Amino acid sequence: MIEVQNLTKSYGPIAAVQDVSFHVAQGEIVGFLGPNAAGKSTTMRVLAGYMPATSGTARIAGFDVATDPLEVKRRVGYLPENVPLYPEMTVRGFLRYAASVKAVARDRIGAEIDRVLEHCGLADMGRRTIRNLSKGYRQRVGLAQALVNSPPVLILDEPTVGLDPRQIIEIRNMIVSLAAQHTILLSSHILPEVAMVCGRVLIIHQGRLVAEESMASLAGAGAGMIIEIEATGDEAAILEALRAIAGVEDAKREGADRYVVHAKPGADPRVPIGRALVSGGIGLRSLTTRQRTLEDVFVESITKEPRPAGASDAERESA
Amino acid sequence: MHGMWAVCRREFASYFITPMGYIVVGAYTLITGLGFVASFLYFSRITRSPADFNYPAVPDLEEVMLSPYLVFTGQVMLFLAPLITMWLLAEERNRGTMELLLTYPLRDRDIILGKYLASLGVALVMMSSVAVHLGIVAYYAPVEPAVLIFGLLAVFMMSAAFLSIGLFVSSFTRSPVSAATISFGAFFVSYVLGSLGKDLAEGNPAPDAWPEQARLAVGFFYRVFRQLVLELPIDAHARNMAQGIVEPQDIAYYLLVTGFFLFLTFRVLDARRWRAVS
Repeated sequence: MIEVQNLTKSYGPIAAVQDVSFHVAQGEIVGFLGPNAAGKSTTMRVLAGYMPATSGTARIAGFDVATDPLEVKRRVGYLPENVPLYPEMTVRGFLRYAASVKAVARDRIGAEIDRVLEHCGLADMGRRTIRNLSKGYRQRVGLAQALVNSPPVLILDEPTVGLDPRQIIEIRNMIVSLAAQHTILLSSHILPEVAMVCGRVLIIHQGRLVAEESMASLAGAGAGMIIEIEATGDEAAILEALRAIAGVEDAKREGADRYVVHAKPGADPRVPIGRALVSGGIGLRSLTTRQRTLEDVFVESITKEPRPAGASDAERESA
Repeated sequence: MHGMWAVCRREFASYFITPMGYIVVGAYTLITGLGFVASFLYFSRITRSPADFNYPAVPDLEEVMLSPYLVFTGQVMLFLAPLITMWLLAEERNRGTMELLLTYPLRDRDIILGKYLASLGVALVMMSSVAVHLGIVAYYAPVEPAVLIFGLLAVFMMSAAFLSIGLFVSSFTRSPVSAATISFGAFFVSYVLGSLGKDLAEGNPAPDAWPEQARLAVGFFYRVFRQLVLELPIDAHARNMAQGIVEPQDIAYYLLVTGFFLFLTFRVLDARRWRAVS
């Protein structure tokens, strides 16, 4: 549904997005992750047709963003970051405008507005002036305008930023409920949120795509076990003891008396670790495993050096 | 087409959801109303004793009262047009709604013409007060219909030209206040230059003692400058039309100015495609 090939966008000498390629299949919810200023918004703006790419191509539903912008815009519902709205309009008035701009047939406009209001939990808010709405409701209005005319593709730039936890849950549920009819690309820097909503994540850092992982592979095998240890004693001695164990890939201190061990794929070094620490005279308080989380992938991806372009191409082809 | 009307409707409605539309229409109605009463009182004083005003007999109502009044209403538009146009594109950019506008399935022409038509609509609402004034005149005095029709047309075309320039200025500014300031400044300079033009004598200002080449050069540039000052100001071409005298070049002037600035607006909006920073 969304195909991006070698997309590059420069602002003058600064390259905001460099050589990014990815695909989003129909019906997928894909999370776009990255630290602030990583190039998430820029990529989404190019996809939504707000600005052109410097080089590379982006296609949505088979239409090229650069050469067929109108066809692309007909198929994309876009929620920009910061949710720009017309404060003086009423919710209904604004959605009526969105519907007529998106060429909803005149006799269907009323029903379409009712549908999106209902879907976004705004049923009682139609007559309210946007200026007087809370941040959470504005976010819903932003989402509602993107949903008008049921575009097959939704591009949501930080749909939950600035909301309180309860509102975040509501918006998140709303997004999940949209997955049946829409292909969704959403950006965020809140990791648990993406982990809950998305089937796959793209991690972008300094304008480059550094990782692409499905949530299934994240949770499943392939990567090594992660073991969290709480122990008292000499730090250097503990780390030395941990690293000496056969199944341990790496060990590091993560706080006062807390250590994290990355095991080698397939290995389970928990028993040897316990034995080694206890026999070394170290006070072992706890030893637990945890699954590799999105946070681990994220931190790994953005701390390691960007992959050379040739290598990432090869990986993409093998994938 | 539907996109253009949708943009136009929203834009036009927003003038009257906010106080702006009422302020502009109210100010225009008040100023033109005062102007109408004042010019009528002035004309009635002339009719009582034409000799005091250096007229041999009672002069023509159309020429002495109606036409200057119509040009005046057009000039008032000069002061108020920046208040209409300053919102058009600058406010979209200021609020960030430009991002919505440019990602909706709209062509540039839907956006630009839709907004331009909305501003023309506001100008038409404003001009309804002038139409009422002309109706009053037509009811009490035998006036040629051509004077009324072309008088209104002259005011409308002047407004259309002002609004197209204002829209252009609004297209490259981020804040409505700077849009209004720039377009008002531009209108005011053209207005002052225009009134200056009446005092520029024909002929060559260079002294006779100067060498022939210098005199020719000065004379040439002076002629060009004088012609520009006489022809370029927007109100310069309304005077004849306001008397019911329609010259093709006057109409062409307004169509060209309006078309030219709409064209520039298209270019500015299009610039996002090749500019590095948008």
